[in-house]
Amino acid sequence: METEIKEAQGKIVSAENPGITAPADWQPVIIGILCNWCSYAGSDLTGTSRIQYPPNIRIIRVPCSSRVDPWFIIKSLQTAADGVLISGCHPGDCHYISGNYYARRRFLVTKKLLNFIGYHENRVQFSWVSAAEGPKFAKVVAKVTEDIKKLGPLHRYKKENF
Amino acid sequence: MDYSKQIQEIASKLFAENKIDYFVGYKQNSFDDSQVPFLITDPAEIPKLVFTDKSVFNLANYLKPDHTKRKRVGLVVKGCDSRALNLMLTESQVKRENVYIIGICCEGVLNDKGEKAQNCVECVMPDPVVYDERIGTPTGKREYTVNADIRELATKALEERADYFESIFANCIRCNACRHSCPLCYCAKCCLDQETSTLYHGANTSSGAMHALMTWSLHLAGRCVDCRNCEKACPSHLPLHLLHKQNESVIYENFQQHLAGMEKDNRGAFYKYSLSDPDDFIL
Repeated sequence: METEIKEAQGKIVSAENPGITAPADWQPVIIGILCNWCSYAGSDLTGTSRIQYPPNIRIIRVPCSSRVDPWFIIKSLQTAADGVLISGCHPGDCHYISGNYYARRRFLVTKKLLNFIGYHENRVQFSWVSAAEGPKFAKVVAKVTEDIKKLGPLHRYKKENF
Repeated sequence: MDYSKQIQEIASKLFAENKIDYFVGYKQNSFDDSQVPFLITDPAEIPKLVFTDKSVFNLANYLKPDHTKRKRVGLVVKGCDSRALNLMLTESQVKRENVYIIGICCEGVLNDKGEKAQNCVECVMPDPVVYDERIGTPTGKREYTVNADIRELATKALEERADYFESIFANCIRCNACRHSCPLCYCAKCCLDQETSTLYHGANTSSGAMHALMTWSLHLAGRCVDCRNCEKACPSHLPLHLLHKQNESVIYENFQQHLAGMEKDNRGAFYKYSLSDPDDFIL
């Protein structure tokens, strides 16, 4: 299922549409959907600790990672985003006891289905970040941004193309 | 497989004993050799009931409308239909005492080309899982196999798959027949009907169809019983089973071999969790 990432004459080639390219300094838009109790507080800690992380991520706060309907991911990919990062509490740490366990099942199926219909598997990523893990949040965002920069702009199913 | 006689006998017995208000079965189509669902209230129409290997539709869908919802209904179910009915019972959509279920030990139905349908070749449970009366000889549960189309598509490159699915979504006319024909899509107010919602992209484009069909298939993930009523209803002949079978294979592989509707009180895969669910895709 893994596809190779192509590069052509200093340009970034879209992983899903080889015909679509972007200049080498192209910056992706990433939607970050973070749970209120762990990851949002974790990202806050990253900021207050003055740790640098890529500015490509736009953060949306949700009460729990299980609040994330697969709709949110599809809608993000359809409108502005080139990638989506969803982050919640570590297993066992959920503020609502078991929300992230339910979310984990949904995420796996959603990720596999999106990959099946032709989105690169790195477009949608998930992470567990606790409120104390400021440096980890910066690392996660850096990794996701790096991954999506390699994949190039997302063109397929974009709303503005219709 | 011709159980017309037995079904007619049972139906006339039920009407004579005043056990049911409606009976849902199949009758011969008037213009070709296919069959259509047939809902009767009058015992005089019982001789029209048939059941052969052309009885393809899932009759559990006829427990959804208002006029049958709170009435006593007798209906004919095959293995897959009984799984859907089992889920409807588990999800409190139907009262068990209101339905009289005639379960058929199914030998597989035919598709449009006259061959055994793909979902019948790959069927895991041909016998009814819930019934009042059973017709035929039970053959027991079978081994689960990943759908042949899914296995073939999984070997293709990402671009190829993306092009293929974009052509599928482009042919969708957004009639929502797939939703109406599904026995498990019973929400009174469907999320796909929210025309004014900013979240829902309702345009009749491949992008809008992707949103609608993906949302629909994810709402049925872990609940779909592979009766393929949606595919039979689709006027554009889209291979809608691909989305459902993909979800089913992921769920079977990762979540304790979950198959929808096999046991009573076993809800969809997303209604429960296990501490040992796969975690390796999470950073």
